[in-house]
Amino acid sequence: MIRCKPLLGTFVEISIRENEDGLEAIENAFNAIQKVHDLMGFHNPESELSLINQLAHKEAVEIHPWTAQVIKIAKEVYLASDGLFNCGIGHRLVAAGLLPRHITFTNHELGGIEDIQFLAPDLIKSDRPVCLDLGGIAKGFAVDMAVRVLISEGITSGSVNAGGDLRVFGKTALPIQIRDPGLPEKLIEIGSLKDGAIATSSLYFAKRDQQISHIINPLAQNLSEVHAEVLGSFSVLAKECVYADALTKVLALSNNEHHPCFTRFSAQALRIAA
Amino acid sequence: MIWKPNPLALIGIAMISAPIIAHAKIYVSVEQAQKILFPNKTLTKNPIIITDDLQDKMRSASSIRHPFQGDRIWKAADGSWLVIDEVVGKHEMITYAVAINPNGSIAGIEVLEYVESYGYEVAEAQWRKQFVGKTASDPIKLNQDIQNIGGATLSCKHLTDGVKRVAVLYELALKNTSSPGAQTQTIKAK
Repeated sequence: MIRCKPLLGTFVEISIRENEDGLEAIENAFNAIQKVHDLMGFHNPESELSLINQLAHKEAVEIHPWTAQVIKIAKEVYLASDGLFNCGIGHRLVAAGLLPRHITFTNHELGGIEDIQFLAPDLIKSDRPVCLDLGGIAKGFAVDMAVRVLISEGITSGSVNAGGDLRVFGKTALPIQIRDPGLPEKLIEIGSLKDGAIATSSLYFAKRDQQISHIINPLAQNLSEVHAEVLGSFSVLAKECVYADALTKVLALSNNEHHPCFTRFSAQALRIAA
Repeated sequence: MIWKPNPLALIGIAMISAPIIAHAKIYVSVEQAQKILFPNKTLTKNPIIITDDLQDKMRSASSIRHPFQGDRIWKAADGSWLVIDEVVGKHEMITYAVAINPNGSIAGIEVLEYVESYGYEVAEAQWRKQFVGKTASDPIKLNQDIQNIGGATLSCKHLTDGVKRVAVLYELALKNTSSPGAQTQTIKAK
């Protein structure tokens, strides 16, 4: 059985080997994704993420264990990538009109994910005001949570695909196709994946729609370098989708498949030239 | 993780002579969607005639140009509704089901069929036109909602427009069908 729902600003597809008797498991998996959406969505001014952005520099904020987990992983990838991955770029996307403006920031004072401190496993505080956007990592996390739900409900084999953030579990090996960045309606079969995750970042749709690049370089020194104009498509394979998702940004910005970051997270990088 | 790369992909994409084209995907049938969205509820087909006036209002609220078909509407005894609609472009189509609670709020959305773009470089330019010209001063247009999923694919935006259209349909037509005076709007299901 295969189902599809609009979630996380994309289409989320859940496929399982079982037929109708897996309906409830799929429903619960969609609910897990919805929950990640509700907790960590930037668009919702009342999400936990929005609360962090509003309050964390003023007071300690109690957060859901899932949000805590994502922030922890985000910090981990931040450190391993020497700052090439940083969720503290929300204001850049707001300024570009790609995300809604909930709060007015004076940009020069803003910190990044490095400023978030854990006071307890579910309690955080920020040293500086932050405008975190978990868009580059939470989708992968949502996919992982959905897979966890499916497995815990006894589903033996399947896949969850959230607009290119994909994880396969169980016995089946899934053939993986990636859009040709030069001709995105054509797909390239790059191999088969079993029990793992793959995520892809690229700008071909942004370019087609004449949108400003949503791949932000957190280390940019001047404004003209903030929106990275990368060519080709950037995929990362990892055991868990949260890492695959986050690491595509490291690959796109470094343009280096051999960045030490990938070995650190047992991931593999794959570039397709435009 | 077991990853078996395609040897041809490693040499370079130029080596792959026959590219795969993104294709249509069928997810669930109408019957399955009904079962998923309204388990344990009996739905009765309740098609309505879409008057020109209603069509115009739905069009202006959602920016979807092609007409809404009123023949795929079901109602449950408790006042819930299920509407199946499609968003069609030149080359792409998404068929989707919207479940509406008795109070008018959306209970769930299920994608039934999704046809990915073919040669959209041309098609999309025309598609995009329907979003151009939307301003915040347009009170019933979807501007806000569309911005809200900025960065998402166009298809997602189309679906957002479609859901808006169904919400408008409920507000303008379905909501009132429970009152006896509005019954003339409904026609008998076959």
